[in-house]
Amino acid sequence: MRSFVALLYLEYAAIAYAATDSSRPRGVSPDFAKFYKDPKSFTCISNPSIHLSTSQINDDYCDCPDGSDEPGTAACSHLSPLSPHTPADTVRNTVNASLALPGFYCKNKGHIPSYVPFTNVNDGICDYDSCCDGSEEYGHVGGVKCEDRCKEIGKEWRKKDEARKKSLGNASRKRKELVAEAARLRLQVQDRLQSLGTEIEGQELKLKQTEQELAEVERREKGRVVKGSVSSKAGKLGLLVGLAKQRTNELRESLIRVRNERDANKGRLQDLEKLLTTFKEEYNPNFNDEGVKRAVRAWEDYAAKDKADSNDALDRDLDEISKEDGENGLNWDEYESEEETELDVLYAFENYLPSTIRTYLDTKLRELRTLMISNGILADTASTSTGTSTETKAVLDARSRAEAARNDLTNSRKDLASHTEDLAKDFGPDDIFRALKGQCVSTDAGEYTYEVCFLGQTTQKPKKGGGHTNMGNYNRLERIMVDDEMPADGKGLGSGERIAMKHEGGQGCWNGPSRSTTVVLGCSEENEVWKIMEEEKCVYRMEVGTPAVCEAPGQTPQGGREEL
Amino acid sequence: MGVKGAFGRWSSYSLVLLCILGIYTTPAVSVKKENFKTCDQSGFCKRNRAYADTVTSTSGFKSPYTLEPASVKFDHGVLSGTVIKSLADGATVRLPLTVALFDSGVARVTLDEEKRKKGEIDLRHGSKARKERYNEAEKWAIVGGTKLSSGAAMKAVGKVATSVVYGPESKFEAIITHSPFAVEFRRDGETQIKFNDKAFMNFEHWRPKVEKPVVEKKEGEEAPPEDTTGEDESTWWDESFGGNTDSKPRGPEAVALDISFPGYEHVFGAAEHTGPLSLKETRGGDRKYSDPYRLYNSDVFEYEMDSPMTLYGSIPFVQAHKKDSTVGVLWLNAAETWIDVTKSTASANPLSLGIGAKTTTNTHWISESGLLDVFVFLGPKPQDVIGAYSELTGYTQLPQHFAIAYHQCRWNYVTDEDVMDVDRKFDKHRIPYDVIWLDIEYTHEKEYFTWDPMTFPDPLTMQKQLDGHERKLVYIIDPHIKNTDNYPVVDELKSKDLATHNKDDNIYEGWCWPGSSHWVDAFNPKAHDWWKTLFRYDKFKGTAKNSWLWNDMNEPSVFNGPETTMPKDNLHHGQWEHRDVHNLNGLTFVNATYNALLARDKEEEKHNVRPFVLTRSFYSGSQRMGAMWTGDNQAIWSHLEASIPMLLSLNIAGFPFAGADVGGFFGNPSKELLTRWYQAGAFYPFFRGHAHIDTRRREPYLAGEPYTGIITQALRLRYSLLPAWYTAFHEASTTGAPIIRPQYYVHPSDDKGFAIDDQFYVGSTGLLAKPVTVEGAESQELYLADKETYYDYFDFWAYEGPGKEKVAAPLNTIPLLMQGGHIIPRRDRPRRSSGLMKWDPFTLVVVIGHSGDAEGTLYLDDGESFDFQEGAYIHRKFAFSTAAGSLQSEDLTTAGTSTSKKVKAYLASMAQVHVEKVIIVGAPSAWQSKAKVQVSETASGSSSSATKDVPFEFVAKDGGKAAYAVVKNPGVAIGAGWKIQF
Repeated sequence: MRSFVALLYLEYAAIAYAATDSSRPRGVSPDFAKFYKDPKSFTCISNPSIHLSTSQINDDYCDCPDGSDEPGTAACSHLSPLSPHTPADTVRNTVNASLALPGFYCKNKGHIPSYVPFTNVNDGICDYDSCCDGSEEYGHVGGVKCEDRCKEIGKEWRKKDEARKKSLGNASRKRKELVAEAARLRLQVQDRLQSLGTEIEGQELKLKQTEQELAEVERREKGRVVKGSVSSKAGKLGLLVGLAKQRTNELRESLIRVRNERDANKGRLQDLEKLLTTFKEEYNPNFNDEGVKRAVRAWEDYAAKDKADSNDALDRDLDEISKEDGENGLNWDEYESEEETELDVLYAFENYLPSTIRTYLDTKLRELRTLMISNGILADTASTSTGTSTETKAVLDARSRAEAARNDLTNSRKDLASHTEDLAKDFGPDDIFRALKGQCVSTDAGEYTYEVCFLGQTTQKPKKGGGHTNMGNYNRLERIMVDDEMPADGKGLGSGERIAMKHEGGQGCWNGPSRSTTVVLGCSEENEVWKIMEEEKCVYRMEVGTPAVCEAPGQTPQGGREEL
Repeated sequence: MGVKGAFGRWSSYSLVLLCILGIYTTPAVSVKKENFKTCDQSGFCKRNRAYADTVTSTSGFKSPYTLEPASVKFDHGVLSGTVIKSLADGATVRLPLTVALFDSGVARVTLDEEKRKKGEIDLRHGSKARKERYNEAEKWAIVGGTKLSSGAAMKAVGKVATSVVYGPESKFEAIITHSPFAVEFRRDGETQIKFNDKAFMNFEHWRPKVEKPVVEKKEGEEAPPEDTTGEDESTWWDESFGGNTDSKPRGPEAVALDISFPGYEHVFGAAEHTGPLSLKETRGGDRKYSDPYRLYNSDVFEYEMDSPMTLYGSIPFVQAHKKDSTVGVLWLNAAETWIDVTKSTASANPLSLGIGAKTTTNTHWISESGLLDVFVFLGPKPQDVIGAYSELTGYTQLPQHFAIAYHQCRWNYVTDEDVMDVDRKFDKHRIPYDVIWLDIEYTHEKEYFTWDPMTFPDPLTMQKQLDGHERKLVYIIDPHIKNTDNYPVVDELKSKDLATHNKDDNIYEGWCWPGSSHWVDAFNPKAHDWWKTLFRYDKFKGTAKNSWLWNDMNEPSVFNGPETTMPKDNLHHGQWEHRDVHNLNGLTFVNATYNALLARDKEEEKHNVRPFVLTRSFYSGSQRMGAMWTGDNQAIWSHLEASIPMLLSLNIAGFPFAGADVGGFFGNPSKELLTRWYQAGAFYPFFRGHAHIDTRRREPYLAGEPYTGIITQALRLRYSLLPAWYTAFHEASTTGAPIIRPQYYVHPSDDKGFAIDDQFYVGSTGLLAKPVTVEGAESQELYLADKETYYDYFDFWAYEGPGKEKVAAPLNTIPLLMQGGHIIPRRDRPRRSSGLMKWDPFTLVVVIGHSGDAEGTLYLDDGESFDFQEGAYIHRKFAFSTAAGSLQSEDLTTAGTSTSKKVKAYLASMAQVHVEKVIIVGAPSAWQSKAKVQVSETASGSSSSATKDVPFEFVAKDGGKAAYAVVKNPGVAIGAGWKIQF
């Protein structure tokens, strides 16, 4: 133990020697050297009223409330807002306790000097990533020795730095190309806008013209007695029967189709219920997944509800209705030629239906129709049904011409609007992302491949196969602050403000929000995905390199170690 | 909350049927309770409660148990005899009795059943189970303190009673009344504990089933109404619950006994439950529970607050406490157990004229099977009881130093990259942490001892990065082994026949995380041998020396089993039924893992390190293997609040290395809750942040300011106090003393504090903490029991006890006081992990009390190996005396151990570690003008000492803030003898 103490004294002697040699004590950077020049005394940097002897500098005891007397030890490392405090920490009250020094200064000869946090000084760990000369472990606690590795680390770094610089040069060239491309694309849009303007003028004219024509034709055709294209073998009644026949056929076909759909859906529902029943049996109640539990509960509630009766009798009736009219003993032709009052015809029509379901059918068909209309299966003809079928071909033709003209105009206007909007959209500085639109890059991580398509969507694709998952659709650009270490090869975000693409409204998560991705962009020679993280359940973050954000306005040039 | 309705399978057939019949009713809202039995649904509990009711309501009831006086023998500290149970039909049952008296002052009363012992019974259903009552609980739970007393002696052998005296200075006495059989324990002539005083003792003897005409019985516990004669047999034979039927091959076999504590108002213990530390009454009424405390280790998700419901672990040990006296009992039985607690107050006894009415607490213990086996502790101090209990069941392991620092866990860090990223972010934000954890998702498809090749392709690089800052990895291994093809572990398990069997004695199959699974039967010593092979570094590739273990789901949790666990008629090694051993199951599994880790590292040269294992399920004795946590709590304030009494309850039950998930497992805590939870967690003996897979990430650096800063302060506070915590762990590992200590333990004479369970002391440091557990709190009221000065830890404000003191507690403050009279060791330099603090200097905080003196201890070793057992440690006592004007460091190491190489090497390595600062809080004003003090150090092995002057600074009293003084850089070695003269 004696020898150990002796060794320590030697060590301290060495410190003193080093201090005079370089005229600044251990851990002091050139920026702060002026505070340590006085050979007789030392004044706490932020507390000029406190004077110490120079022997108190780096004596491994914290005297200054701002820690400035211990630039080369960890003795003042507890002076931090992150540490618990007691009055005895800084001896005197009412003093300026904000830290005076940024850290332990490593000279890193052969590489770039840097500061190491005081908490890392003499903790027995060589912090080569920030202190390549190992000088922060001068105390050799626990026998640790950190040799100077600046030579190799510096060399390696310079190699990477060179490559990085070269790559940056390429990147900025690429960016220029992208800017040019973006400008070209923008011009295209502008050109299109211009031509659209002319087109719209023409189309407006045409619309006016066709509308006039339609009015003219309608006027001409007015008063003509014979309407419709139904055969002339009957009068008004025949016409009605014809209509009824057409309509019945239409309804029957729809009924059959909807019934098939219903049966298909019934099958799917059964499969689904079977799935859920198995799920309810096999799920793990201890998993305590609120989503699962909610689903199980909802399923229980659902299963408990009365099911819609499946009535075989009604189904038989539907079978009947679905048959061709001939099979039902309904001969339309007879009626088309027979002389009966309209009322009689209608009455008889109903009579020919199986009487048990007359009302049922009536309501069902009505419901069905409404359903089909509301789902866009059938056109809503209610408003025009009185007109169309009775209009003459001339009117119809004129009308369709007018409608075509109107459609053209509407489309052109839409086009115009979207192009105008496109021009106003934020495509980033220099409109640059216009040039990247639709380009995709991907990377493998774990069991998935992750892809981002610029201004499109982000996607997760399982390597084992199976469906792709949309992780969000591009919504907008944002500026966010990042604070990362920049690796020597420059493939990282570094720190500062960066452009981020927000992707939202992706596939909904089981027991969570719909997926979203923030794609944070950093400068790189190629478009490439650096990193993919699930920051929270279904909230992803991608770090992507692209030349598009290199040296963009309002962004400090990236790369290079932060020189302190 | 609730999924529920039927717990078991719900066939689609019955679903359809119910729908058609339209009789389906909406499931009840309350989830958890329906999955777990109430006393009424547990046949033997219901029977014994009914028995107690009958006894109480029958005037002149005579307990049918009699000790045959002629059978009584006494030999070498053991009294033996036969208790006869008289049946209604005149037949008798012979129950061999032993009363063993140990040197430690502990008495053990054991009652067995002769017929079962001799195997003269028949089992139903052709069962292959053992015929004896389970008698191996001691094999797992008891490790010491059973040296029979040579001083114990029969005092009196009479017709009515037999008496033995034992214990220290023969102050203890056990008086056994022959008829009805009852035992009374006295200390200094005063009755402390009574067995069968209320005649609830009930020993269900074996009987053959008399087949009666079968009456259609519906599932459930309803008794068929046809039963008319005598006893209600409805729960004797097969019992069903939640769709599972227990075949009960031995019929009814419960053991029950009432244990009274006359004059004791409080009983503590019977962990693990969520209620207050002082157990509540359980037989209904205002602010009482209606069910007994239940001990049946279970995976209870979303457990309830303030409930006697069972949880993950059981410690069937209670202490009764009254002013200046603590006594206790350990009910050594591993089967399902229920404990009724009632209190009665003797109203104005005419003989005690004017003396206040005394409350007596009665406990009624009911176990489903096994022996009636009770250990009795007669105190009189809390530590006497806890110490004796700990001597029996083992002291908590002295953990590796990292294990008492901060653990960062989440279900799940998803990739090895993710782990390394979190690791870097802690450093970036200057937040200390020691351990990062992996939950089940690291495995390849839930196959333990494998890594998911997609997400954890390079676990060694990950562990290397962690090791770079002395950090550790803990990964999970559960007892269920996936039943699948191409999985060597399950192949070996099956081919070696080391899994638990079902009632037909075939390998048992159930469901857990991996789906179909088998369970390692850790009751089998061969399973331990096999388990050892699995953890070898060359077998489980990708694990490094800085990886440790987490055993979860070891109740065991079986998703499709009755009450989420195994069927009771499953068979374990030795043909014991699961019913007999259930509560021990978790312990045996952790024991296997502990042994495996010991073996893993023993094979490595010079890597003789202490294993670390965390367990969820536990029993008396599990503390020897590692830490426990309180399972799956929720991110709500009530769970934070409950964590403190829960951890105190474990600390006084010999299992102090306990913690609750910081932040709450289920759900997302608000930032305020998260911050308060870290502040509380900094005072949990086991300090781990954990979160469910569906929660948002909540690593401390994500909270944002001011929360991240405040949480970091709490973490750094824990780290700076690690020397005090480690010293407390050392004390626990040698005496069983709690690490966090409730009021009654520290102040056993102060009856006002006996029920307080929301504040506690840390070890012997005098630190008194009362973490905030309420939303929006701005202050906290602390109770000071003694006439002593308490100083605020953070600003030295002085409070005078006794009484209640309000302490400001805005979000950035932890209510923490220092009781006068102590010396607290700290290490103030913040480091990235505790491993990096090894060489840092110490700060000693001397807190001067009313006497003018202060005292404290420090225990220190390499923090990882077993070398301390050979003497490689530093153990100092610091003593300050105002009268002598000195602070001295004295050696507490046991002499004669410091000769080995290891010891010398250790002490040499510590020679450079010194004291950098001594802070004296409450410094005498006489020191006002003092500028220096004399420091003298005696190097070890030398008697000469050099004296030097060291700068000294005095800061006067400032309003309510006490005066303090600082000795600057005395530079004395922490392991040396030294003296500071003021």
